[in-house]
Amino acid sequence: MRLPPEAYAVALATLPGMGPKRLLEILRRWPPAEGWRRVLAGGAGGEAGLAPVWRVTAAGVDVAQVWRAHLDAGVRADVLGGDGYPPLLAADHEAPALLFSRGDPAALPAGRRVAIVGTRRCTRYGRDVAWELGRDLAAAGVTVVSGLALGIDGAAHAGALEAGGGPPVAVVGSGLDVVYPRVHASLWSAVAGAGLLLSEAPLGARPEPWRFPVRNRVIAAVAEVVVVVESHAAGGSRHTVEAAEARGRTVMAVPGSVRSPASAYTNGLLADGCPPARDATDVMVALGLSTATRDPVRADLRPAPGPGEARVLEALGWEAASLEAVVTRTGMGAGEASVALTRLQRDGWVVSAGGWWERVAQVPLGECR
Amino acid sequence: MIAIIPSATLLGVDGRPLAVEVHVSPGMPVFNLVGLPDAACRESRDRVRAALLSSRLPWPLKRVTVNLAPSGAVRKGGPGLDLPIAVGLLVAAGELPPEAVAGCAFLGELGLDGSLRRVPGVVPLVAALDTRAVVVPAACAGEAAVLGRHQVRVASTLAELVACLRGESPWPEPTRRPPGLPPARQPDLADVRGQAIGRAALEVCAAGGHHLLLSGPPGSGKTMLACRLPGLLPRLDADDALTTTRIHSAAGLPLPGDGLVEVPPFRAPHHTASAVSLIGGGTAWMRPGESSLAHGGVLFLDEMGEFPAPVLDALRQPLEEGVVRVARARASVTFPARFLLVGATNPCPCGQGGPRGACRCSDAARLRYTRRLSGPLLDRFDLRVVLVRPDVGGLMGGSPAEPTASVAARVAAARDLARERGFRCNAELPAHRLDELAPLDPAAAALLEHTLRAGWLSARGLHRVRRVARTLADLGGGAHQLGEEHVCLALSLRAEPAAAEAAA
Repeated sequence: MRLPPEAYAVALATLPGMGPKRLLEILRRWPPAEGWRRVLAGGAGGEAGLAPVWRVTAAGVDVAQVWRAHLDAGVRADVLGGDGYPPLLAADHEAPALLFSRGDPAALPAGRRVAIVGTRRCTRYGRDVAWELGRDLAAAGVTVVSGLALGIDGAAHAGALEAGGGPPVAVVGSGLDVVYPRVHASLWSAVAGAGLLLSEAPLGARPEPWRFPVRNRVIAAVAEVVVVVESHAAGGSRHTVEAAEARGRTVMAVPGSVRSPASAYTNGLLADGCPPARDATDVMVALGLSTATRDPVRADLRPAPGPGEARVLEALGWEAASLEAVVTRTGMGAGEASVALTRLQRDGWVVSAGGWWERVAQVPLGECR
Repeated sequence: MIAIIPSATLLGVDGRPLAVEVHVSPGMPVFNLVGLPDAACRESRDRVRAALLSSRLPWPLKRVTVNLAPSGAVRKGGPGLDLPIAVGLLVAAGELPPEAVAGCAFLGELGLDGSLRRVPGVVPLVAALDTRAVVVPAACAGEAAVLGRHQVRVASTLAELVACLRGESPWPEPTRRPPGLPPARQPDLADVRGQAIGRAALEVCAAGGHHLLLSGPPGSGKTMLACRLPGLLPRLDADDALTTTRIHSAAGLPLPGDGLVEVPPFRAPHHTASAVSLIGGGTAWMRPGESSLAHGGVLFLDEMGEFPAPVLDALRQPLEEGVVRVARARASVTFPARFLLVGATNPCPCGQGGPRGACRCSDAARLRYTRRLSGPLLDRFDLRVVLVRPDVGGLMGGSPAEPTASVAARVAAARDLARERGFRCNAELPAHRLDELAPLDPAAAALLEHTLRAGWLSARGLHRVRRVARTLADLGGGAHQLGEEHVCLALSLRAEPAAAEAAA
């Protein structure tokens, strides 16, 4: 069987210590098959001292078998400059030398693309906003790009899938067969089914920490607008924002409470002059799209809260509060306040977790938990 | 010549009666101690010899055999047999007439100068004796008199004792040591500002005997609240007081005013505690552990997440049954251990706590932290309360909060209601009688049913919530039917541990 050049590129990518930069270097100097022969001969990777390691490892790699595994798994591999490589990424100055994808390749160039990113340690507020942004943007036909991580990323994709409009695109940091985080297994396959999964890592690659900042530059490269929903002061979203600014992409931030550490970075972005993303309309305006496609009013199907419940709801505000805080703010007895909270929970107005009560946005997030 | 002196040794929190048999016969001067003595007991020989000589009493230069009967059954431990051995020697050597010691048991350790020292466990030791009189070191007079079954005679030195036994001087009056220290001022609830929910939970905990888990950042008042729990509990009743006194005596703890322990004890072992220190065992005579020392009172585990998991899980038997059965190769012992467990824990490794996303701990770190408390153990806590640091306004201003005395009165009234139902407290209500003893009004039933359907509550959780609601109703005046307010507050006071939600 005659192997395509991509097969050799994939084999190269499986070598230990092979990051995007080193791969790009090899593929720039030689065609993939030639590069592989050089590695086998110990003639590549000299600068980093990896040549002997690569030579030994490569000797044990069956290129045809690796290639067949990718074909069997339904994973496409495209070398930078190849026919199937997305033109959108090809123009980027840090384009991945080799791109793995699963799903509909047409999802990427189609339509407008907005990245929704943020912390894994999000608050309920951040998750709700990410979910709503994902849903409303997808409903308007926008492609939602994110990283399928816990927290904001996952919520944005869950929202986009809920709307079923624009196809979701996910850029992940591990091999396309290594579902990380594992709890997102169903979300992962839903995105692959409705849109496109991208990765720079070959099958079986572990989600090593260095892969995520690298992955973030691809997200920034793919998107036209990057919306940061919530991020801590030293969060990983910084990498995405820096990469987006280097490419001249619009960066938007969702305003959060000044008391919430999870909004420290996003509020900082706003202070630095980033446009705020209060809802999908703001993002649509930044994209230069008409906002008429958005369904403006959604009926609230929850039963209206009674007078006592309304007081508690008002006292809760939009930050998590303990029962103690509710009692103090409303002046109610602990029993009375508990009754109100339990009723509100029953009717979908609030949720409780670990002794904290939080008000939930208009639309109860059924699947997005 | 032979002498037989009744005495007792300790195993767990019970005394075992034994007879110290001393035989003195002509022959090479030698001293043999037989009948399974332990190391401390075998050293008796040297103490007894020195004490006799310092008291100007003769050491028989003959063949002396001391047997601790029954000889095979249990290993005899502790230094408390010094005194019976010395007295037996004197009788066997003809220094004391046998009639002088008839019907009298002896307990005590000897100093080399002939002084009599106190020994641990006098209360259970005396309880095991069936003689008419018992002689104890003067320092143990109060402990020995707790039971009131025996004529208690005291002596402070061996010479004094011998003089009294010979009838040369009158027995000294067993002076009850005046309670040296006035009972330390119990911390009062009035000092706790704010913390309405924490206070309510503490009251429910005291009234219903529900175990309490406090979770909150440092400085939120977890320890402060827990320390005020014993003040809310009623004084121990006669049975409990006697049991607790026996346990404290067996562990060698000082007794209050040398009498009964009537104030519920408060034990707060550090989180480096071993399983044995918490449960009991360890020494040859099986010292009771912290869980038993807290019998009738409060066991407070601060920084509960820092305790090793096996240590915490060892508490599951006492929490379930109110006793600990410790089995060792030599003996197995049952310790009473019915205590109110109060745990305190930080919400997450960084301690700042708060809702998800509000601190610097990742979800995984939070999850790992909460997992240190096993599910079965967490399940034992009827009350799980989140505490937050009180705000400045609450700390500085405002009127002083309700004092312990008035809360304790409500607690006592609620406990009376439980006793009328035939239970010590509501936490002991059996599940099959809840429908009869804790019926729900229709609104409360509907709300609970919805909570169950939505999966926010398990079947076991339902029973626990109903018991807590029963206590809330009792504190509120004792309505027979539980209302919505009782059930909802009971639900709120049993927050799910702050587990990170699985996915976005």
